[in-house]
Amino acid sequence: MSCIVANSLSKSYGQIIAVDGIDLSVNSGKIFGFLGPNGAGKTTTIKLLTTLIPPTRGTINILGTDATQHPLEVRKKIGVVLQQPSYEPTLSVEKSLEKYGMMWNVERKTRKDRVEELLSSFNLEEIRNIKNEDLSIGQRRRVQVAREFMHDMKLLFLDEPTVGLDPSARRGLLDFIKKKVKEGLTVFFTTHILNEAEYICDEIAIINKGKIIAIDTPEKLKNKFGKEKTIKIHIQETHTILSNLLLGIKDYELDFNSGTNITIRSNYSEEVLLKILQILTANNIQIEDLSVVPTSLEEIFLTVVKNSNASSN
Amino acid sequence: MHPVIRLVNRNLTISLNKGFLIWQVIFPLIYIFVAGFAYTALIDFVPLGNKMLDYPAYIASGMIGFNIMNSTLVSGIIIWNDRRHGMFEQILVGPFTRAHYILSNVYTIGIIGLISAALITAVGYPLFFKSIEFNLLTIPLLVFASVVGSILFGSIASIISTRLKSSEGFNVVINTVFLFFAFVSTAFYPAEGTPEPLSTAFYFNPLTYLVDVVRAGIFGNFNALLAIEILVLAMLSLILFVIATKLLAKLEL
Repeated sequence: MSCIVANSLSKSYGQIIAVDGIDLSVNSGKIFGFLGPNGAGKTTTIKLLTTLIPPTRGTINILGTDATQHPLEVRKKIGVVLQQPSYEPTLSVEKSLEKYGMMWNVERKTRKDRVEELLSSFNLEEIRNIKNEDLSIGQRRRVQVAREFMHDMKLLFLDEPTVGLDPSARRGLLDFIKKKVKEGLTVFFTTHILNEAEYICDEIAIINKGKIIAIDTPEKLKNKFGKEKTIKIHIQETHTILSNLLLGIKDYELDFNSGTNITIRSNYSEEVLLKILQILTANNIQIEDLSVVPTSLEEIFLTVVKNSNASSN
Repeated sequence: MHPVIRLVNRNLTISLNKGFLIWQVIFPLIYIFVAGFAYTALIDFVPLGNKMLDYPAYIASGMIGFNIMNSTLVSGIIIWNDRRHGMFEQILVGPFTRAHYILSNVYTIGIIGLISAALITAVGYPLFFKSIEFNLLTIPLLVFASVVGSILFGSIASIISTRLKSSEGFNVVINTVFLFFAFVSTAFYPAEGTPEPLSTAFYFNPLTYLVDVVRAGIFGNFNALLAIEILVLAMLSLILFVIATKLLAKLEL
């Protein structure tokens, strides 16, 4: 079943088109990643899907409800952690969790139990009595994300939830989200940290200049766009004639600072490697190390965005 | 629980902290018991209808209106604080509408105004109990003054909250508005006896109307001007409330 269905969704601010006719379908029980460069339209898309702003054109259906006709009904069923920090400065961590649960009409007994559970899950016990205004940015962010789990929801929107978190807090949050998804939650997740998206997302959409330019599982995106491989060769000593020897070979870079590192980036990296190895062997140049760098989502992302920018120019 | 009540609960929790409540009592106490008795040498008695009020009683009753203004200006800042700390958007992606948010602010301001008025009435009672005249007319006047005064000044603070984004600008405007309202009014001293331009300026200040209605509610001094002041207060609070509501409804996210 689809949790989110958006058709020809657009948002304009005067002459500026922030979101340009995107189509989305997110299935239940999945983590859907929404990636894009700065200013691509990610946050605008989240604001549209969470009914914070109305679309200029297009339709949005969230959990079976038309979001433009019945926005309040949609908001009663979803959770949202916005990119912008939000907190009650004068309330303590514990009190702000409790108050947020009250605002969502969660029963008192359930609120108390959930506060304790979330304080533990998000490592907030030591700071439970500290006012939000006295917390660090990372601590406030953890409280902001934890707070959203005070109420029941079927769909959660997370707009860059790990900003400001240290690596262990980040991993803890991602694992918590995975656990909740196994229990039936659907998550719509934006991030700039691509190895996070790789770690957690079942499906990824890449948006650029308001349009979706790629949408698939991480593996299929790598197969489709990740033909280019990276191979690194480290040779023992600097050879001044090296660049002359490698003339005529394409798709490699020589690190002139050290003079000993050769990086190959190519869709035909094995062929380039073979040619370079032949030259090095013929000239008695010793190889100290050879490594293959697996294609990462970051490289896929950069390739896809670069191709998109090139075609739009 | 109705969404508006849940939001009022939240607003009162963040507004009615110990510091706020203590300040609401201590600040007027200083005015009433320090300035009130200190200025008695300069202002002996103040004529009020057919009564002659001693100055401490005069200022104590003025402090009720002043405190309504003071406390509702502070609670009107809820909107500005919510925008500043991201809670405005967070509430609007929750199970609430803008109408819920606006109504909850109005109710919060009204409740805080009533609490402030009650606190100062209790504190100042020893000073004006001799001249009190409570009856079926005066008590509704006091309630009217508390509620309408709260809406009026709360709306002013809400309008300012929606217009300004920077902390510096906000503090300058709020403090300037506060100072004007406080001192160019009949809260602390009567208009009679002040230089002509100043006494005229008093009647461009809604706080003057508010404290005059409060005094009528406590001391029972009804006159033709009172009816006009009640009408002006009601109209002004309605107009400002509508403006504040429209600005809040259009606030961009």
